[in-house]
Amino acid sequence: MIQRVPWALLVFVAAFFVPAASLRYYTFLANDVVIWALFATSLNLLVGYTGLVSFGHAAYFGIGAYTTGILMKKLGVSFLLAFPAAGVSGALFALVFGFFCVRLTRIYFAMLTLAFAQIVWAICFKWNEVTGGEQGMPEIPYPDFGWLERVAAWLPFVGGYRTSDYFYFLTLVLVAACLWLLRRVVGSPFGRMLTTIRENPERAEFIGVNVRRYELAAFVVAGAFAGLAGGLFGIFNRGVFPDFAYWTKSSEVLIMTLLGGMGTFIGPALGALVLIWLNQQIVSYTQYWPLVLGTILIVLLFVFPGGIAGAMESAARRLRRGRQVA
Amino acid sequence: MIRVLTLLLAALLALPIAAEAQKPIKVGYPMILSGSGALFGEPALKGAEMYVEEINAKGGVLGRKIELLPRDTKGDANEAVRVSRELILKDNVDFLVGTLTSAEGPAVSVVAKENKIVFIANIPKTDQLTAPDKLHPYVFRTSANTTMEGRSAAEFVAKWPVTRIATISPDYAYGQDVTKSFVEHIRKLKPSVQIVDQQWPKLGEADYTPFINAQLAKKPEAVFSSLWGGHFVTFVKQARPLGYFEAIKLNFIGVGEAGSPETTKALGAEYPVGITANTYDAFYWTEGPPAQREYNARLSKYLKDEYPNSWAIQGYMGIHVLAEAIKKAGSTDSDKVSKALLGLTVDTPHGKMTIREKDHQATRGLLYGQVVKDAKYPFPILKPIIYVDPIRFMD
Amino acid sequence: MPDLSFVFAQALSGLTAAMFLFLIASGLSLIFGVLRVLNFAHGSFYMLGAYGAYQFVHWLGTGPGRFWWAVLLSALCVAVLGGLVERFLFQRLYGKEELYQLLFTYALVLILSDAAKILWGTQQKSVSRPPGLTGALSLFGATIPYYNLFIILLGPAIALGFWFALQRTRAGRFIRAAALDRETLGALGVNVNALYTGVFVLASFLGGLGGALITPMRSVVPGMDTEVIVEAFVVVVIGGLGSFWGTFLGALIYGQVLSFGILFFPRFSIFSMFALMAAVLIIRPWGLLGKPLK
Repeated sequence: MIQRVPWALLVFVAAFFVPAASLRYYTFLANDVVIWALFATSLNLLVGYTGLVSFGHAAYFGIGAYTTGILMKKLGVSFLLAFPAAGVSGALFALVFGFFCVRLTRIYFAMLTLAFAQIVWAICFKWNEVTGGEQGMPEIPYPDFGWLERVAAWLPFVGGYRTSDYFYFLTLVLVAACLWLLRRVVGSPFGRMLTTIRENPERAEFIGVNVRRYELAAFVVAGAFAGLAGGLFGIFNRGVFPDFAYWTKSSEVLIMTLLGGMGTFIGPALGALVLIWLNQQIVSYTQYWPLVLGTILIVLLFVFPGGIAGAMESAARRLRRGRQVA
Repeated sequence: MIRVLTLLLAALLALPIAAEAQKPIKVGYPMILSGSGALFGEPALKGAEMYVEEINAKGGVLGRKIELLPRDTKGDANEAVRVSRELILKDNVDFLVGTLTSAEGPAVSVVAKENKIVFIANIPKTDQLTAPDKLHPYVFRTSANTTMEGRSAAEFVAKWPVTRIATISPDYAYGQDVTKSFVEHIRKLKPSVQIVDQQWPKLGEADYTPFINAQLAKKPEAVFSSLWGGHFVTFVKQARPLGYFEAIKLNFIGVGEAGSPETTKALGAEYPVGITANTYDAFYWTEGPPAQREYNARLSKYLKDEYPNSWAIQGYMGIHVLAEAIKKAGSTDSDKVSKALLGLTVDTPHGKMTIREKDHQATRGLLYGQVVKDAKYPFPILKPIIYVDPIRFMD
Repeated sequence: MPDLSFVFAQALSGLTAAMFLFLIASGLSLIFGVLRVLNFAHGSFYMLGAYGAYQFVHWLGTGPGRFWWAVLLSALCVAVLGGLVERFLFQRLYGKEELYQLLFTYALVLILSDAAKILWGTQQKSVSRPPGLTGALSLFGATIPYYNLFIILLGPAIALGFWFALQRTRAGRFIRAAALDRETLGALGVNVNALYTGVFVLASFLGGLGGALITPMRSVVPGMDTEVIVEAFVVVVIGGLGSFWGTFLGALIYGQVLSFGILFFPRFSIFSMFALMAAVLIIRPWGLLGKPLK
């Protein structure tokens, strides 16, 4: 019974009511969570589904953010073009970097992803003319919501929303679409092959699969969606900064993925929700957030390696088994 | 009967107003409290906290106490934006004071602009914060900016009997901007000057020796440096044994607060005595204005430290200026306060300071001095301290 | 054309930097070679070694040799910490996915960096050169501080001592065997777990020693843990993960790249370490002296 309820759809619809039902601040928090959920899910395509641990996924996030930022702020391009452009540039860089990365395995792969990400960061940090250098590009314009406001004026009960609320709705729709696409990818034969590769790359080679090409494809898809997340984040954050590509961002998203559970599709999104909420709660009490985060991480690694989703799944399984026996 | 009812009505109406009057004035304080910037952010916060404590003891501002809400930005502009939004939207702060780095300042400025909340930047030096295309009614700055710092340094160096000048600065916005201001101004003041070498170690460089060697090979007669904090300490520890300071005969000017008591204390006997440097404040400035000596006496007691931190004044001044503006506006409405800030003159511990109307920049003086040993203190001090009034080179 | 004394000075500064890096990277390489994990927390041990040296110097007051005692004590404390971490925490993760081990070391980085902040605050700390090694000598027109010279000589001394221990002693043979085939070694009756702990202790000692010895030349500040670990990665990658002399060679090369890089590519030092790491991983991932990957 519980499986049949369309949870995803319910959550999606409920999310639309956040601005009306609560403080403006919670809308921002929700917006933050939604964007990071996409970022983390894109990473999980690599880590959870293909078994490729990337330490430099933030590079594509940053590239996407700068692409949208530069197009919208410096060149006045509309969001309709600037947003997909973020995905395209994320994919392109992922193609180039990924080509070299997938030739390596395990720790070497991870280190090369890190090296490329730091190079991206360094370029963003230094290229003052294009990226604004260390100070970044503050004040990326919001997309033009004039048409939406006019529609809202027509409908009853709707209206009185701010630009940031409209952006939140837009983010919801776009991220939901991206997540749906990713779900299709993961469930497709391509996605299943990725899982096969993760479990046993040699066996996959044996049956004639070009492992490297699949891995590169996964890398590019992950990079594209990370870029899209970045494009949204640059606008949301009211500015794009070089540390979007810094390795600490990569580690944050990796921890989110682990926290939520790498073994499920929805895990990373859950991890994003929990980590952002936790960060916000704890930071108001103490300046020692790294200490808290490190401890949480250790608890996770030793006690709940499957993350939250993993723990929930095994609890559900135990419940079902209990019911069957009874 | 009617009189009783009227009185009752009046009392009922007065109640919310009275309650409103008791509500504290909330000031959000985004600052670096963790990571490598914390060594500046924490003392700055303490300075602000001391001012708030003192003013509240006197009854607050407009009869209301000030409540400071500090938040850690972790030195990340992204996080600074997040905590600022949280402060505005969730904690309903009336104003924002703070930020430290040149990325945080402009980032929070955007948030302040969109939410129409007055934001006083009390440490960021970047000119970008108050540049014409970024200026808006709600952003103000009480610290000096890179133009003021670079040019004031040039004024000192112009008086030295040198023509071959070199610079060494960290390769990021602050270092680049302040060096540019220095170079432009010194060329104006002394056209015979030659910039023989410019070294740009990366921000956070751990090994300066290649840069030091390269600079010495060009045989400069004087050096301008904007290495600060721990970077300056590392630099000195590596430069001294190589005879760097002797080679330039101590014709070295270190901006970025290289002469602050914390830095001289950290280096102790290793500090290159004889160079010129600046500092935000100096508790040992016996020739300073009485207000400054008094401020430091109170700070020393508040921090329970006989050598109180020189960064605290940055936090102190930011809140001080805000409080004066609230008083002048007679309200905590950001629009009124922002108008009150224009042209506002405040009696700070360093003397009178005005917030200029044209760019919302405070006419913040800089303290320079030559570093000397002093028997009274276990570390070198700046003596005599020269207060540089920036007004003549702010444009 | 830069003159000879300048070239010599740059080469020497590159050598000094190299020896420090070797000291630190050797521990990293050792842990990777035997335990097959990249220990992010190695930078934290380096940082704790530095803070420890500062603290011991402070406590030991004045007195002859206090710097050297402080260095030794600090390195020993860090070694003990490393051993405890390995024995009670890290051992439980053996056999689990590599990612978990890596993330564990990262969690350690977070915890230890805050611990250092709690214990020593955020203000920069400094340690002076030991008396006896202040001052400098002049060679070919370049000034060489005595302390730098000491480090330049200490590096190879430790390298040789280490190598000798690995080749000739029983423990060294076990370590080399464990790097090749841990299961067989266990089957032969060697207490592999104790061996692992020992390796971790030794590596942590080296990391802490590096941190303690570097204090006269750098300021002790928060953030020094993360900045050194990336440099150590680069060195180990260049030389070849798990190769001892590879690490030494990698450190030498990297040191000179840092030194002379500013002549050919000024203002690009921010790129140099990552560009170098990427170049090596693309062209020859197993480094100069490592074993080719399957």
